[in-house]
Order: sequence, then C-alpha cells, then structure tokens
Amino acid sequence: MKKFVYTLALLLPLFAATAPAQESVAQQTERPTGEMMGNTCAACHGTYGRLGTAAFVPLAGMEVEEFVRAMRAFRDGTRPSTLMHSVAVGFSDEEYRAMAEFFAAQGTEE
Amino acid sequence: MQRRDFLKALGAGAMLASGLSIKSVFANAAPHVVIVGGGVGGATAAKYLKLADPNIRVTVIEKNPVYLRPYGSSEVLNDHIGMDDLEVRYDRLRDRYGIEFLFDMVTGVDPHRRTVRTAGGATLGYDRMIVSPGIQLLYERIEGYSASVAESRIPSAWIPGTQTRLLRDQLHAMRPGGTFVIVAPPNPYRCPPGPYERGALMAEWFKVHNPTAKVIILDAKDSFVPGPSMLLGWNRLYGYNVPERFQEGMPTEGEWPMKIHDAPGMLDWVAGRDGGRVLSVDPASLSVETEAGRFKADVLNIVPPMVAGRVAFELDLVDGRGYCPIDRRTHESTRHPGIHVIGDACVADAMPKSGFSANTQAKVAARAVVDLLAGRDTQAPLWENTCYALAGTEYGLYVADIFRLVDGRITRMEGPRFLPLDASRAQIRIGALYQQNWMRTFTEDCFA
Amino acid sequence: MSKHLLLFLLLFVLGGQALAGQGEAPAETWTPVRLHAALAAMPEGDAERGARLHDALFCASCHGERGESLSRHWPALSGQRAPYTYKMLLDYRDGLRHEDARAEMMVVLARMMSEQDMADVAAFYAAQPLPGSAPLKKGHPVNDLVRRGDPQRLITPCASCHGVEGQGGRNETPSLAGQRPEYLVRTLKAFRDNTRHNDVHQGMAQFAWDLSDEEIRALAEYYAR
Repeated sequence: MKKFVYTLALLLPLFAATAPAQESVAQQTERPTGEMMGNTCAACHGTYGRLGTAAFVPLAGMEVEEFVRAMRAFRDGTRPSTLMHSVAVGFSDEEYRAMAEFFAAQGTEE
Repeated sequence: MQRRDFLKALGAGAMLASGLSIKSVFANAAPHVVIVGGGVGGATAAKYLKLADPNIRVTVIEKNPVYLRPYGSSEVLNDHIGMDDLEVRYDRLRDRYGIEFLFDMVTGVDPHRRTVRTAGGATLGYDRMIVSPGIQLLYERIEGYSASVAESRIPSAWIPGTQTRLLRDQLHAMRPGGTFVIVAPPNPYRCPPGPYERGALMAEWFKVHNPTAKVIILDAKDSFVPGPSMLLGWNRLYGYNVPERFQEGMPTEGEWPMKIHDAPGMLDWVAGRDGGRVLSVDPASLSVETEAGRFKADVLNIVPPMVAGRVAFELDLVDGRGYCPIDRRTHESTRHPGIHVIGDACVADAMPKSGFSANTQAKVAARAVVDLLAGRDTQAPLWENTCYALAGTEYGLYVADIFRLVDGRITRMEGPRFLPLDASRAQIRIGALYQQNWMRTFTEDCFA
Repeated sequence: MSKHLLLFLLLFVLGGQALAGQGEAPAETWTPVRLHAALAAMPEGDAERGARLHDALFCASCHGERGESLSRHWPALSGQRAPYTYKMLLDYRDGLRHEDARAEMMVVLARMMSEQDMADVAAFYAAQPLPGSAPLKKGHPVNDLVRRGDPQRLITPCASCHGVEGQGGRNETPSLAGQRPEYLVRTLKAFRDNTRHNDVHQGMAQFAWDLSDEEIRALAEYYAR
C-alpha cells in the first residue's frame, strides 16, 4: 500500500520531510539542463512556456526569483496547489533555478 | 531541399528560436531524420527536432492524414465532445516548422544502409530514425473476441475511430435499466486511468438519461491508477461502496465524507481477487464468463491486452514481451542502432503508457538525436507524466510524477502522486477545469 | 449628445446579441439603482477569513501570494478596492464577465462562493499594498488624456475617477496603479470593442470607444508598475 503512504504524506504536515529525500536523488543523478527539465512543463504551460489564453500560468519571461519562490512554496506546501506539489517535490533548488533561467530567457509573444 | 522550403524553415526557426541562440552545426550537410508514426510521440519529436535545429530535415511517415487523438476520447461517449473534436491536422507542423509528411505505411527497413521502405513504393534514406508506433490490440487473446466482433458488436473503442462511434451509439440506445459492462485490460496498457474514467463518465450520463442503468467494470487487476482517489469519487457521485482495503485515509466527516451506502449505486468494480478476470466472451448473448460467474451485458466494451504497434514488429524492434527495449538515456533501440523508439511501444520501466509520457519521451529522444548527429555527448534525460482523469465532468483527479535515469532505468521520484483524499470541493472542481484546458495546451505542444 | 445616444442604442442592440450567444443566460446588466443596492448589501469583509479563503480557493496559483499577480495572464488584486473586487466576483458568478479560458476559472470559483466569502476575499486584497503608483508623468504621450481627458471625444480624465495616482476612486471604481500592462490593454480593448458589458450604462466603455491601439498601449504603460 505504498500509494497510501504517499497520500498520507500529503494529508499530514510532512511536506518538509519529503524534500530532502528528493534533493539527495536529484543530487546523485546527473543534472539535466534547464531546457530538458523545462520541456516537461510544456504540456500544460506551453512550448517554451508560451501560452495563449489557457488557464495555466505562462512561464516564458517569468522572473527567475519569482519562479524559484513559487516552486519552493509548492514543494514546502506554503502555497496551496492542485497538483504542482507533486511536480515540485521531484526537483532540487538548483534545478528550479536552472529551469527558471531557461524560462526567463524565452520571449513572451503568444 | 528546395530553396523555398529552406527559406521557410529558416524563417520558422528564426521565429521560434527567439530567446534561444541556436547555432546550427548542420549548415552545410543537413541530416535527415525519419519519424515513423504521427501520433503524440512522433509529432512531438518532429517539432522538437526542428526547434532544436531547423536545418535538420524531418520527414514523418504516417498512415492517416488526419489524426484522431486517443486522450480524452471517452468524452465522445457521453456527448461531452463530438468525434470531430478528436481530429488533429498536421498543417501547423508542416507550415510553421517545415516538417515533411508522407502519408503512407512503412513496410520494412534496412538498418545497415539506413533506408526505410513504404507500401506506396518509396524508399527513404535516413541518418537516424524515431519510431513511435503506439499500440495494437490483441483481440484474439480473449476467447470469443476478435477484430470483426469489435467492429460490429463489442467495441473496444481504445484506439479512437469507428468503434468509438459504435460504442457511443450503443450506449445511447441502451434499454432503460440495462447493464453496461467494461472489461479492463491487464497491465501494461495504454492510459491506466482510462477504463475507470470511462465507467465514471457513463455512470454520470446514465444518472440523467437512464437512471436505472448499471455500469460494471470487470478487472483481472486488484488496483489501478489513480486508485483510492477515483474510488472516493465513485463513492461520492455514484453510491459506490469503497472496499475496506482502500478506505484508509478517506474522510469520514467534514465537508464531503465517504459514506457507506445501504443501497449501493449503479457503478461497480469487480477486482481480480473477487473473480473479475474474464475467461471468455459470447458475442451472440453479449455475456462474459469470469472467475466470479457469468455477466450478461446490454452493452459490452472490452479493452483487450495490447502490445507495441504493428510497425515495431515489422522493423524487428520488439522483445519477447511485445514491447521495444531501449537504451533509456537516448531511447535508441538495443536491437537496431540508429533507430529510437518512443511512446507506448517502448519499454520505459516505471513510466505509464500515456500521451504525456510519449510527449516527454519524444523530447528526450529528439535532443539525443540532435546531439548524436552533431557528434556531441548526450544529455541527462528527464521525463514527466501527468494524467488528469475525471470521476465526473466536474470532478478532476490526477497522477503526477517526475522520472529520472537511475542505474540505467527510468525511475519514479518518490512523493505524493495523487489528488489528496482530503482535497476540497474547490480543488476537485478546479482539477476538472485544468483537465479540459490540458486537452488543448497538450495538443498544441504536440501538434502546433 | 446625439452621437452618444446613437452609439448607446447601437451598442445596446449589438451587446444584447453578443450576450445571447454565450449559451448561459447572463444576469441583467447593471443599472445605477441595482448596483447601489448590491453594494449597500455587501457584507462587512473579514480580511483574516479572506486570507484563509485565498489559500483554500488556490487564488495564489494565478494572482500571486498576496494578489500581486504572477503573470501577464491575470491582474494584480493587491490593494484593490474592496467594492470593485466584490462586484467582479458577482459579475463572474452571474455571467457578466467571461472573456476567455482565463476567466473560466473565476466563473467556476465564484459560483462556489457565498457573498460573505466574496466580501472577505475582497477585504483581504484591499488590506495588501498596491503594487505600484502612477504619479503625474509630464511629457508622457497620454499624460494629458489621464489628467485632462479629451473634450473633443467626450473622454473625461482617467484620474478623475481612478484617482490622482491611479489608486482607485469611490465605491467600485478600481485602482489601476501597478497593474499588469497586458491586462490593462486587454481590458480597454474589451470595453472599446464591446465584448465586455459589466459596467453601468457603458460607464467605462464610452471612454474606450474612440481610443486607438497606440493610446491603449500608452495608457497601460502609464499605469503599469
């Protein structure tokens, strides 16, 4: 019943406890580039973070610090999210920054 | 390449690469990448190859000039969308990115000379090939079932097309108080939440249009994704009683508690441990023989076992289990160098067979192909999967995971994956809205 | 005056058709009397409860941690006047605002909120600092439009309703200072092009009808953070 353990982890205030484990996995493996990681966001947030009128946040041109702060807050649970917590726990702080720099460099035309 | 095409490609590249400074290493001799299959995986790979380097010549070989998207196709059954809404065209990939399309079927490959042949008589040379053949359904694995039965009487409607329309019409014409039986497939299969979402959407539709109808899902498995969050949705919406073994962590009080229903509702799930495994089917009487006995259906929908698409077999990319083994870092076939396999057909360890998976696999493979063609080191890959699913049109669920390469395998990062069982009504409602938005943004990322 | 009356009649007809095309029957458009009554009936807002609702309804996902706005897709709400926020929530709920997929989220959420919830959330945002200010910008291409209006086109000065520094005016007149420029452009165009109808008797739209694209861009830039 591993699924239950995961689900319970969300129910209980254990957000902080999940973060270091992810950090260690992320640090053990070779770090993907900001573009490689950022491309996994595109299915919702648009190719290179460019998005028309959809209900998701466009990431292209977002300030680096804004992106990093949002991802940390999603991971730590201080910003409530629908599913971004599940995504944010998969990355390290350094990786947030690499993704942020990738998106900050994108043009914002829709 | 024609001069006009070249200029077009150059223009598209310049437009799309704004913000990224792309210096092509292929300015003098443009390599040719052939992509077999124009579904989610193939289309995404073609687009991201061109985004990475517009000088690469990309040709997609695809059977159908108009693609029918499988993701979200159960929404045709409850008339939430029409068949037309599943249609995706290739114009934007051709016009914006200069991707070439050949609507034809691949019949063979010479991996040494690096050529591929088609039914239409074309022979194309390639520097690297990406194969994204999807799945094929093994109707005959179920006694009494066959492709012709599926086309005429017991649709699977798992690959969208005439069977989707047939199933929709059967459901809408079902007698009052009739029984809709869904047979869920064994692992591994395309779209893990799909059979359970389909059952839920039809239960919701029947509540309005055929309130005494029944929906029964027969299953050889004892659990499924997204698991308890779907069962809780069924409990709340359709009077389903959650088996005790899944009740842990479900809210028993507060805003929207799980209830024990004295008179269970219209939707039921018979797990493998309860005898849900199907032994045979009788098309004449629309009945299914299971370990738990015989189920008589008014409308019967069977999702049979499946393996990699036909082309993967034609090209000798498949192992004994019916899927394509790959080097995970590059998605290059371990059977034939120079050919990369992505999407449902490849062996991707912890990744589910989903459109989202195929989309991120395509990006990993496209990057690897560009680097290999340029003689560069390949990059560390990263994959994601997010499956939105519905327990009702306004009840959104999800599973979301990040995957990394660990010890040569695609490995899921541990963490909370599902909609929390204590999620509020607002979160559930917003999830359904995001699901609908995702259908559009995802299609754009793949095909536009 | 006759020009206004004609336009009014024309837009009244066109507006009715546009609304009729939206599927769901929207509420009656506002009249001064109805708006006055709605705002008089606005419950007293509790900013602390509003903060909890801001979390519970995932407002930060689009509008930022304290309503400061995360992206060009959605407006800043921090420092916004409470009656304005309250009125917008009513308008989303009742189908008077539904510009595109980005607004759909608000329609869905507003329909899950009581009027007390709306007032509380409005109070929370009103208690946050404005994201910027728009002081006198002498020499700016639209400084005259903002400060003096254009009598030729019957455009009253923006500042006379929206405040000398764009901080908002009386009742439901919104603050503009520090707003996302993309949002201001979209909004002005929606009023100008008659796709937004939630103002009272075209109270805002009539000033947008004669604006050029260039003026709209300049106005947005004037007020943006």
